[in-house]
Amino acid sequence: MKSKLIIAIAAMGVAVLFSSCAKVPQTEIDSAQAAVQEVKDSGADLYVPEAYSALVDSMKSANESVEVAKAKWFPNYSKAKEQLAVVSQMSTDIKAKAETRKVELKAEVEAMIVEVKALVEENKALIAKAPRGKEGKAALEAISSDLAVAETTVTEVEALLANGDLIGSNDKIKAAKEKATSIKAELEAAIAAKGGK
Amino acid sequence: MIIILFSVVTIAISISVIIVSQKELPTEDLKLAREALTIAKEAEANIYSEKIYKESVQMYDSAMVNWSRQNSRFILFRNYDRIINFAKSSKKKAEEAREESIKKSANLSKDVQAAFVSLAKKIELYNKLFKDLPLPKSVFDAHNKSKMFLSESKIAHESGKLKDAEVLFKKAEIYVNHANVAAGKMLRDYFEDHSKWKNLANDAIAASRGGNKVILVDKVAHLLYVYQSGKVIRTYDAEFGPNWMAHKERTGDNATPEGNYRITKKKERGNTIYHKALLIDYPNAEDKVRFAEKKKKGLISRSAGIGSLIEIHGHGGKGFNWTSGCVGLKNRDMDDLFRLVGNGTRVTIVGSIEPLSVISEGLDF
Repeated sequence: MKSKLIIAIAAMGVAVLFSSCAKVPQTEIDSAQAAVQEVKDSGADLYVPEAYSALVDSMKSANESVEVAKAKWFPNYSKAKEQLAVVSQMSTDIKAKAETRKVELKAEVEAMIVEVKALVEENKALIAKAPRGKEGKAALEAISSDLAVAETTVTEVEALLANGDLIGSNDKIKAAKEKATSIKAELEAAIAAKGGK
Repeated sequence: MIIILFSVVTIAISISVIIVSQKELPTEDLKLAREALTIAKEAEANIYSEKIYKESVQMYDSAMVNWSRQNSRFILFRNYDRIINFAKSSKKKAEEAREESIKKSANLSKDVQAAFVSLAKKIELYNKLFKDLPLPKSVFDAHNKSKMFLSESKIAHESGKLKDAEVLFKKAEIYVNHANVAAGKMLRDYFEDHSKWKNLANDAIAASRGGNKVILVDKVAHLLYVYQSGKVIRTYDAEFGPNWMAHKERTGDNATPEGNYRITKKKERGNTIYHKALLIDYPNAEDKVRFAEKKKKGLISRSAGIGSLIEIHGHGGKGFNWTSGCVGLKNRDMDDLFRLVGNGTRVTIVGSIEPLSVISEGLDF
């Protein structure tokens, strides 16, 4: 009887030794993974690329920690769980940052659209007032055509913005603003030169 | 017996623990690979060395998948060699990708900057040579679009988006080339008549050698010269019709004729709405022959007239080509010219006295 009991205890000991002491934190892994995906879907890789990159690195590091724990006789997932919790928290923060950046960028683009539209109108008024000048009507026609290109760009930017392409629309509207500003300077210089004569 | 069994189990466990503990885990290699990937991404290897970077990512992912697979096996049967190899290869590839990315982006940046210079030269060429030509709207628009794409490309370049800058630059180049090729062809075709113009100009200057005053109009230069005794005695800025490059052929074409003419009538103030005017004998015999031939060939509509009343007149100085084919001078220049010349004075109108090589200042187009 005594010997049977010892055998049973030994067998249980072996069983315990060869089995995992802790379970893989699959829920935490899945949740962190889903959070990272959500962050990506929010466009964080475009709007806050450095933060997004750090997040991906942290997720990978957490996955590695899970495997490190799994590789042990007595797996302990507490470090991996901590890392996964950090990833989840980071995801929330980065997603919020991305959303904020998008809102800021959208506001910047919209403000620039208003600015460029106003510049286009100002330029049209200046063209009407501008002297024929040395280069004359041909030059004004060239300026008008240039202005038309800037105006078309504004329309394109509005379409891009409607499609949610904030970065593309931002670059485009900057170019249109540059163009409209340079046209205004050109026209003002021509008008001032005439006034000075 | 029990003691023996217990001892065997204990020994077996000890040996297993020793075996397992001596197995090298891929932890460090994977960490290094992951860090190398992060550094490569910071160098935008995912953009400029896309292929190698992807391979590196795939190797890292394979390492992780294999590690997970190995970990699901019984502990004594796990083998991490393949995982370590994948991790090492991933790190190596990530480093390669980073290096290639740095090189490629530096080269691309240089290329794009060189392209900006080349494009700016093309835009400058247009501004110097073609801007004042009566170009079709499509050419005009293409030139302006090229400028806009160049601006966008520069903004992308400044933001470090070199690939975007390259795409935008290429668009700008397509438009600027279209504008310059079309305008260049127009100018080259026009100058095919240069030897004829040169002869006309030389004849006119020669005709002034006896002391006669001769008017020589250069359309490209937008200048009207008065020659006497082979020398220029007056130079005035001149304006023409919007279609000034063309030789006048018919009523309403807004073109200024080219050839030899004479002043047939001097119109004082009150006799013209253009301050003062010198009527010339357009169409001359040559114009009439050309008109008839073109009409016969159907190149000019049957109902079209050849046109008349081509004058040198005042109200110029507007700074653009506004007449209906006449030569417009500033009123004070018109007064001067009016005093200087009389009926019968020769008026020679040419496209350009100078050859295209001089006009283009050696610029290649």
